[in-house]
Amino acid sequence: MAKEGDMSLFADVLEPFRRVINTDPPKDKLSSASKLNFSDSNQSLKEGIGNLLSLGKRKSSIGMMNDMSTPEKRLRTESGSTPASAPPSPWETKRLKGDLIAARAQIIQLESRISHQHTLRKEMQIMFDEEKGCLMEQHKRDERRLSEMEDRLQLIRRREQDLKDDYNEAVKQHKDYKLKWDQEKIELQKQIAELKDNLLDAHVSSKDQLSEMKKDMDELLQALEGAQSESELLKKEVERLSTKAEQCSTMRTQLEKTMFELQVANNKVKELEYEKDSYHDWQQQVKTAQKRLSNMADLEKEVGRLRAQERSLRDIASNKLLLEEQVHVLQSRVDALQPVQNELHEAKVKLATIESALEEWRSAARAHGIDTARGLSSALEAAFTSQITAADTTSKAQSTVAQLTEEVATLKFERDKVTARVNDLAAVKKTHENLIHRLQKRLLLVTRERDSYREQLDCYEKELTVTLCGSAGAGGAALLSARVEQLEKALQSYRDLLAASEPAAQHAVVENLRAEASKSRDEAAALRREAGKLRAQRDTLQLQLERISQHAPTKILHLTDNPAAEAHKQVQLDYEAAQEEIKRLKAALRDGGDSKACPDEIQQLKQQLESSKIKLKRLKEEFTSSAQEYRDVCYMLLGYKIDRTGHKNYRISNMYAESSEEYLTFNLDEDGIEMVHTDYSATLGELVELHLHQHRSIPLFLSALTMELFTKTTMQQVQ
Amino acid sequence: MSQQQTKNCITLRGSAQILCEYLKFAINSVLFQRGLYPPESFKAEQQYGITLLISEDPQIKDFLTNLLTQSEEWIIKKKVNKLSLIIINVANKEILECWDFNVQYEDGDVALSKEKNETVGSKDVKKIQQEIRDVMLQVAATISYLPFLDCRCSFDVLVHAKTDCDVPDKWAEAEPVSIANAQNVQLKSFTTSLHKMETVVSYKFVD
Repeated sequence: MAKEGDMSLFADVLEPFRRVINTDPPKDKLSSASKLNFSDSNQSLKEGIGNLLSLGKRKSSIGMMNDMSTPEKRLRTESGSTPASAPPSPWETKRLKGDLIAARAQIIQLESRISHQHTLRKEMQIMFDEEKGCLMEQHKRDERRLSEMEDRLQLIRRREQDLKDDYNEAVKQHKDYKLKWDQEKIELQKQIAELKDNLLDAHVSSKDQLSEMKKDMDELLQALEGAQSESELLKKEVERLSTKAEQCSTMRTQLEKTMFELQVANNKVKELEYEKDSYHDWQQQVKTAQKRLSNMADLEKEVGRLRAQERSLRDIASNKLLLEEQVHVLQSRVDALQPVQNELHEAKVKLATIESALEEWRSAARAHGIDTARGLSSALEAAFTSQITAADTTSKAQSTVAQLTEEVATLKFERDKVTARVNDLAAVKKTHENLIHRLQKRLLLVTRERDSYREQLDCYEKELTVTLCGSAGAGGAALLSARVEQLEKALQSYRDLLAASEPAAQHAVVENLRAEASKSRDEAAALRREAGKLRAQRDTLQLQLERISQHAPTKILHLTDNPAAEAHKQVQLDYEAAQEEIKRLKAALRDGGDSKACPDEIQQLKQQLESSKIKLKRLKEEFTSSAQEYRDVCYMLLGYKIDRTGHKNYRISNMYAESSEEYLTFNLDEDGIEMVHTDYSATLGELVELHLHQHRSIPLFLSALTMELFTKTTMQQVQ
Repeated sequence: MSQQQTKNCITLRGSAQILCEYLKFAINSVLFQRGLYPPESFKAEQQYGITLLISEDPQIKDFLTNLLTQSEEWIIKKKVNKLSLIIINVANKEILECWDFNVQYEDGDVALSKEKNETVGSKDVKKIQQEIRDVMLQVAATISYLPFLDCRCSFDVLVHAKTDCDVPDKWAEAEPVSIANAQNVQLKSFTTSLHKMETVVSYKFVD
C-alpha cells in the first residue's frame, strides 16, 4: 500500500516530464528518447532510484558534453564531417551554422532542463531520504514491535504450555478421580449388593423370626388360655376349698366348743372324782367320827377349839383384806405423788430460768428507759407506726409523682393543641388578607370604572353644550333635542348603573369584609403578641440554659463537715438504732411471744396457774382420798363395792362374792335404777323373782344376796 | 478632695467582706425563714437598717465562719463564681431548694484604681447597704410563695469555684445539684462596684 502510494507520488512527479517530452519537437524525439528515457518509466522504486543514478551519470556525461560532444554528436558531427570532407558550400556552411545555432540553443535548453531535472532530482532525493528515514524508523518500530510481539508470543506460548500442562494434569487428575470414583462406585455397588443380600437375608430371617414369634405367640395364647382355664379351675378349687375351709372353721369352732365342753366335763369328772375321793374320805372320816363319837366330849371340846380358831382365822383374813386394801390405796397414792414431785422439780428449774429471763428483760427495758412492760409495748407500737407512716408517705410521694407526670403530659398535649390552633388562625388570617387585598383591588377597579363613566358623561355634556351653542337650524335643533334626550337616557342608565355598582350592598359586603379583616388583624396581632411572649420565654430559658452550661467547667466545693452531712449522719444513726431496736424487739417477740412477752403479768398468771394447779391437785387428792374412804366405808358397811363403769352404769360386786366375775350391773335412768341382765344375775333367778319382781326393792335384793353369799361362804368355811 | 476619696474608697478585700457579710446574713435569714432550725435558736440583730436574725447554734456559727473566711479569700482571688445554699430533705437527700448567690467581678473605679495602684471601687457604702437591705427584704418576702418544707431538712453551702482552685483541708468536691421541675425566682442584685451579687432562689415547683 505504502509502496503503491509512493508509486503514485512518483508518477505524479514524473508526469510533467512526460508532458515536456511529448511537447518536444519531433526532430529531437529520437535523441531525447534515447537520452532521457522517462517515458520508459520503470515502476519499481529501485529502478527509479537507479534511473536517477543513471541520470546523475548522464549529467556528468552532460557536463562532459559541454567540453566535448557526445558520442552521438560526435557521431553526428562525424556524419556531418563526412560530407564536410567535401568542400563546404556556403549554403552548407550557412545551414551548418544555422544547425549549430539551433543545436546550441537546443543544448542550452537541454542544459536548463537538465538543471531543472537536477533540482527535481535533489528534491526527490531529499524526499526519498526523508521517506527512507521514515520507513527505516517504521521498520525499526516494526522490528521492535515484532520483537515485543515475539516476546509476548513466547510468553503466551509459555503460558499456553503451562496451561496445557495444567490441563494435562487436570485431565490426569480427572482420570485418576474417575478411576478412583469408578472403583468406589464399584465398591459401593458391591456394598449395595451385599446390603441387598443382607436385607434379603434379614427379610428371610425376620420372616422366620416372625413366623417363629407367631408360633410362640400362638403357643403363648394357648398357654394363656390353658392358664386361664386352669385359673378358673383353680378359682373353683379355691371356692371349694374356701367353702371347705369355712366348714373346717365351723367344725373347728364346734370342735373347740366340744373340746371346751369336754374339758368342762373332764373338770366335772375330776370334781366328781375328787368328790368321790372326798366321799371316800368322808366315809373314812365318818368311820373315824363314829369311832370318835364314842369320845364325843373330846370332840366337842375340839370343835369349840376349832371354832375359836376359825373365828380368829376369819378375823385375820378380814384384817388381811383390809390391809391389802390399804396397801393398794397407799400404792396408788405413791404413784399419784411421784409425777407431782417430778413436776415440782421441773417447775423449780423453770422458775429459776424464768426469773433470770425476767431480770434480763427488766435490765434491757431499763437500758431503754422503759420500766414497765406496757411502756415497752408502746415503744414497739410507736416504732411500728412510724414505719407504717413512712411507707404511707413514700406511697403518697410516688402517687404524686405519677400525678405530676400525667399533668405534664396533659399540659404538653394542650400546648400542642394551642400551637395547632395558632397555626390554623394564621392560615385563616392569611386567606382573609388575600380576600381583603382582592376586594380592595376590585374596589379600585370599580371606582376607576365609575370615574371613567363620569368622564365620559362630562365629555358628552360638553359636546352637547358645544353642539347646542354651535348649531342654529330648526331641524338640527330637533335632532339635537332627540339626541339630548337619548343622551340623558343614557346618562340616567349610567347613573343607575353607577348607583347599582357603588352602593349599599357592596358597601355592606366590603364593610363586612373589612370588619372581618380587622378582626383577623387583631387576632393576628394577639397571636403575634403571644408568639413574642413565647419567644421571650424561650430566650430567657435559653439564657438560663446557657448560664447552667456556663457553670459546667466550675468545680463545686463544700465543707466536709456541713450541717447536711451531719444531719444525714444523725438520721442514719437514728435509723440504724431504730432498725436495731426493731430487730431486737422482733427477735424478742419471736423468742418469747408466747411466754415472755409481758414478764410481770405472765409471771403473775403463771403463779396463779401454779397455785390453782396445786390447789386442784390437792383437791383431787382430797377428793380421791375421801372418795376412796367413802367407798371403803360403803364397802365395809354395806358389803358392796360400787364401780362406775360408764355413763349411768354401775357395777357392784359383793364382799362375799366367790370370784370377781360375780358382779351385778345397774343402769340409772329417769324412772329410777334398773338391774341389767348379766351372767351372774342369771344364776340368781330366785332372789330376783322374790325381791325384785315381788317386793320391788333393790336394797332388799342386795341384802338378801349378801346374806346368802355370807351364809354360803361361812358354810364353806364351816365345812 | 482627699477626704472624699478615703470615704468612698472600697478595696477588694473590703468588697469581699461586704459580700461575705451579706452572705452570712442572707444564709441566716434563709435558715430562719425556711424554718430549718427552731426560731428560739435565733437572735435578732440590727444590720443594714433592719432587724435580721442570726443563729445562735454553735455548729452553724462555726460552719458559717469557716465557710465565709475561705470564701472571702477565694472572692479576693476571683476564684468563686457562685455560692449555692441548698436545702436538703435529710430522709432521701432530695434537694428541695437552692439559693444561688452569683458573684460577678467588676472593674470598679478604673481611674481611682490607677491612682491607688490597686483595684478599688468608689461606690458609696450607704448605697450598697441600701441595695443589700432591699435584697434582704426580698429574701424575707420569699416565704409567701416558697413551698412549705414539711420534712426534716438540713442545708449545705456549695462553692462553685474555678477549676484551678485548690481544695484546702476540710473541704471536698461535691456533686452538682439539680432540682427536678425547678422554678427560678431572681431577686434583686446589688453591686459594690467591684463585685456584683445576684441572688436567685430555685425551688421544686409543686402545683
